[in-house]
Formats: sequence, C-alpha cells, structure tokens
Amino acid sequence: MNRIPNRHTHQKRRDLGFYMLVMAFPVIQFLVFYIGVNAKSIMMAFQRIDVANNTTTWTMDNIRNAFQMMTGNPQMLNILSVSLLSYLLTNGIGIPLALFFSYYIYKKMPLHGFFRVILFLPSIISAIVLATIYQFFVERAIPVAFNQFFDIKTEGLMVNPDSCYIFLVFYNVLIGFGTTVLMYSNAMSGISDELAGAAQIDGASLFREFWHVSLPMIFPTLMTFLVAGVATIFTNHFNLFSFFGENAPDGVQTYGYYLYVKTQGAKSIAEYPILSAMGILMTVVVVPVTMLVKQLLEKYGPSED
Amino acid sequence: MSLKNRKTLQQSRKWSFFKAAVLILLVIYAVCLFLPLLWAFITAFKTQREFRLNIIGLPKNWTWNFSTIYNEFYVPVSTQTGATEYVNVMQMLINSMLYSVGCAFCGTLIPCTTAYLCARYNYRFSKLIYSVVIIVMALPIVGSLPAEISMAMSLGIYDKIWGLWLMKAHFLGIYFLVFFNMFRAMPAAYTEAARIDGAGNWMVMLKIIMPMAKNTFFTVMLINFITYWNDYQTPLVYLPSYPTLALGMYRMSYITINELSTVPMRMTAAIFMLIPTLALFACFHKRLLGNLTMGGVKG
Repeated sequence: MNRIPNRHTHQKRRDLGFYMLVMAFPVIQFLVFYIGVNAKSIMMAFQRIDVANNTTTWTMDNIRNAFQMMTGNPQMLNILSVSLLSYLLTNGIGIPLALFFSYYIYKKMPLHGFFRVILFLPSIISAIVLATIYQFFVERAIPVAFNQFFDIKTEGLMVNPDSCYIFLVFYNVLIGFGTTVLMYSNAMSGISDELAGAAQIDGASLFREFWHVSLPMIFPTLMTFLVAGVATIFTNHFNLFSFFGENAPDGVQTYGYYLYVKTQGAKSIAEYPILSAMGILMTVVVVPVTMLVKQLLEKYGPSED
Repeated sequence: MSLKNRKTLQQSRKWSFFKAAVLILLVIYAVCLFLPLLWAFITAFKTQREFRLNIIGLPKNWTWNFSTIYNEFYVPVSTQTGATEYVNVMQMLINSMLYSVGCAFCGTLIPCTTAYLCARYNYRFSKLIYSVVIIVMALPIVGSLPAEISMAMSLGIYDKIWGLWLMKAHFLGIYFLVFFNMFRAMPAAYTEAARIDGAGNWMVMLKIIMPMAKNTFFTVMLINFITYWNDYQTPLVYLPSYPTLALGMYRMSYITINELSTVPMRMTAAIFMLIPTLALFACFHKRLLGNLTMGGVKG
C-alpha cells in the first residue's frame, strides 16, 4: 500500500533536485550581475573613492552634484534637449514609416519579399561598418556627385552642425526598421482573413483598412515597443560613438552617448560614482514616465474591439 | 456586394495613392541603403591616388587592397606589464569568433533552460522567475555600466573573454519569453510517455525536449551571434587586451599609418568585416526573417 506514495515522493524529490541543480547557475548569475550590479550602482552613487589611499567614504555629494549638473549646466541641458528631440524625431518619423512598410509587406504588395530583406539588412550589418561607410559617403562622394551631376557646390553633410544633426536623424531612422518591421508584419499576419475581408467588402480603402483594422489589431505589439522605447531617451547613443568616437560635437550629444564616453574614458574608478549618481537620477525619472506612458496607451490607445 | 462592384473595388485598391506612396518610399529607402554600400565596394578596389582623382566613378585599375589590410593592420594593446603588443587580423578574427560564439551560446542556453524549468516545473519559484523577467523588462535601469565594470574587476573576470561569456549568460530578456511560450505549447504526452518508459529528468530534457526546441534555439543563437559579432562597444570597455574585428574597425579610424589611413583602405576593411555577416544572412535569411514570435518559430 505504501509503495506508490513512496515512489511518488521519491520522484518529487528527484524533480526538485534536478530543478535546483539546473536553476542554480541562472539564479546565481542573476543575483551577481543584475541585483549585485544594480545594488553596487546605487551604493557607488553615495560613495567617494580615493584611489591613492584605497579608501571609500559615504557622501551625498555625488547626487547633489549630478542633480546640479543635469539641471543647471548649459551643456547638460543641451544634451537633455538633444536626447528628447532625437527620441521624438526618430520615433515620430520611424514608427509611422515602419507601420506603413509592415502593412505593405503584410499585404504582399509588389516586391514585398525584396523589401522585407532590404529593411532587415541594416540589423545584421555592424554599426561601425555602416557608420564608416555613410560617413565617407556623405563627406566625400555626395559633394562630388552634386557638383558633377547637378552643378551644385556643397560641403560634406557632417561638416555643417545643422546638416550633421539632420543627417544623424535620417541615418538613425534608416537603420532602425529591421526588428520593428519584422515584428509588426508578423503581428499583422496573425489578423484573421475574415476581418480584413469584411473591411474590403465594406468598401474600405487600403489606408482605412490599415487604420481601422490592422493598427488596432497589432497595437499590443506597438505598445510594447513604445513603452520600452521611453528609456532610450537616456540610453540611446544615437550611433554617435560610431561616427565620432569620443569627440562628438556638442550640439548632437545625447545622454546615452555622454554616459558611455565618460565611463569608457574614465582614468580610474574614482570617476564612476558621479556617473552612477547620474544614472540613478535618470532611472528615477524614466521609471514613472515609462509607467505613465504604459497607462496612457492602455487607456487611450486603439482597442481590438 | 455584387461581383462586378467587388472587382471594381479590387481594381481601385490595386493601385491606390497609399500603395504608390509607400512603394516610392521603399524604393527611396533601398537606394539610400544600396548606393553607399555600392560606393564603398567600388572604393575598396581603388588606390588612394586613383581615389583622389576619381571619387565616385568605377576604378580604372581594380586594386586588391584586402591583402594589405590582412598583412599590415595591427591593433596595439597594452599588456599587464605595461609593454605594447600588436594584435593582427587573424588574432582579431579568433577573438571575434571566441567572443561571438561563446556569448551567443551562453546567452541562448541559459534563457532556454531557465524557460524550460519555469514552463514545465510548476513550483512557486518558477512563477517568481517569470515575474522577475517581466518586471526587469518593464523597469528600465539607466547608467549601471560603471558598476558593472567595477563588479567585473572585483570578480577577476575583467579583460577575459570567458568573463564576458559569464556576464552574457543571463535569462533576462525577450528570448526567455520566446522559449517559455514554446515549451508551454509543447504537448505533455511526449514527456509523460518517456517517464513511463523510465526516463529521468535529464533524459527528458536532453533527449526529448531539446531536440524539439533546436530550431528556435538555433535561430536565437544565430541572432545573438550576429549581434555579438558586430558589437565593438562591449569589447572596447571589457576586453582591452583582446580586440575583435569590429573593435579593430573602430580603431582603424584613429590609425596613423599612412598606407592604412586612406579612404579606400577604410572601405576595404568595412567590406572585409561585412563579408561574414552577409554570407550568414545569405545562407540563413529565411530562418532569420521567419516567424520568430512569442510562441517560438513557426514553420
């Protein structure tokens, strides 16, 4: 009578042992490299590190200095405005285009297969390779081509600060379609044929079908990208490092670029605490903004119904 | 709606303004993408002298610059003793392979096995892990790079390729959800039958489940491989002694050797770097562009 429950208990123990054994590494890795790193980041924001004497003291100065820098320093305010503008421009231009392109591919319009491959291509090419090619193309080839074919004398697009920023927005939009178009068109392919067919029978134009059927049906996918995208205001390098290395002009720098360059170029770990403090202040801003955007989109975004 | 009206509607939908406008935008996109790539390819076969005289035209004499890049391009690195060592292209290629394959494998294996445990073992801890993945995805944390470097240094894994394998071997991110939903959707009958036949947990995971998951595993690993192959910013920060090809490409911008600092040589290096990823894409584009969804790979 007791043999079956015993076997059952034995099996449960073996399952638990296996589970703990396989789960051990991922959990330790998470505790060290996520919890540990973020805890260290928070602690570093409140530390002053003296490398020469190998001492660490607790202080609020980093947070105070970081706050003053981010709210009072003209260079940092400029970086904030460029970060926000870059986010708005790349998303304001890139998202509608990505949706139109995805719809084009989903509807299997002429050359849809070719364009699907082409739109994904920048995702598999190294950022440094593409940036190098584009940099020399707009600096060297375009002025010569304009002069030769249109008799227009122009300087390289990256020499002038205004055309440089416009080019950077154009470039970031151009290379940003790969994953989004793939995800949107895959999501659209999940829309039932009956629904699209009903819109056609009702006489809806392609655009109306896109607006009233496809867009609401893929809105959960779009919302995921929009919500996750909020943090990029503070993390997006805008590919500046690939174009300029550590020497991007002041008028085009973003927060993501600034933090990366300062961290990568730090002479010692004594420079890290102020950067950690800036990161924490940015996180304090970006978490509630992300939550707010999520709630607003859930409340006012188009519904599948 | 009558058949005639339906046909008229389909005709009018065939070439609407919307469709034409999107097609024009896509054609402009393709031109903007291909023209610089084509120019780079042509420039890679010019000498500097010819490039000065003929920036946008086809080369009169096609010059093979790839051997110059392969033989003469070195990246200087500082050793722990303070001396300078020079890393050649072959060594950069080996570093790239070790970094990309190792990180891609670890970064795919861990989310896959963790997702398997969470999907198939109904413990409270599994639900906790799933919630952690969702929360971490929703809550962005900015500026933890200094702490991450500091942590790597204190653990003794800074400037070690295997150290980056460890750092990238996490279960967080979208691929956990891809694997989780795939394992959830797999019928339990296979594993139950195997268990009745006496298979243990390891046997079920390695011989029954993983072969069924190999398509998704390979696709995710391929995507990860391409990401790491192209990544130069992580090696720049974490691997100062082991430059990869992508990092070499970045370092080339600051090279002072006259022969290599020319535009044709830079374009040659760019094309050299581009070839492996384009070859991979040509071989596996259907898999990469396939329906990798939150439910695994369709078809």
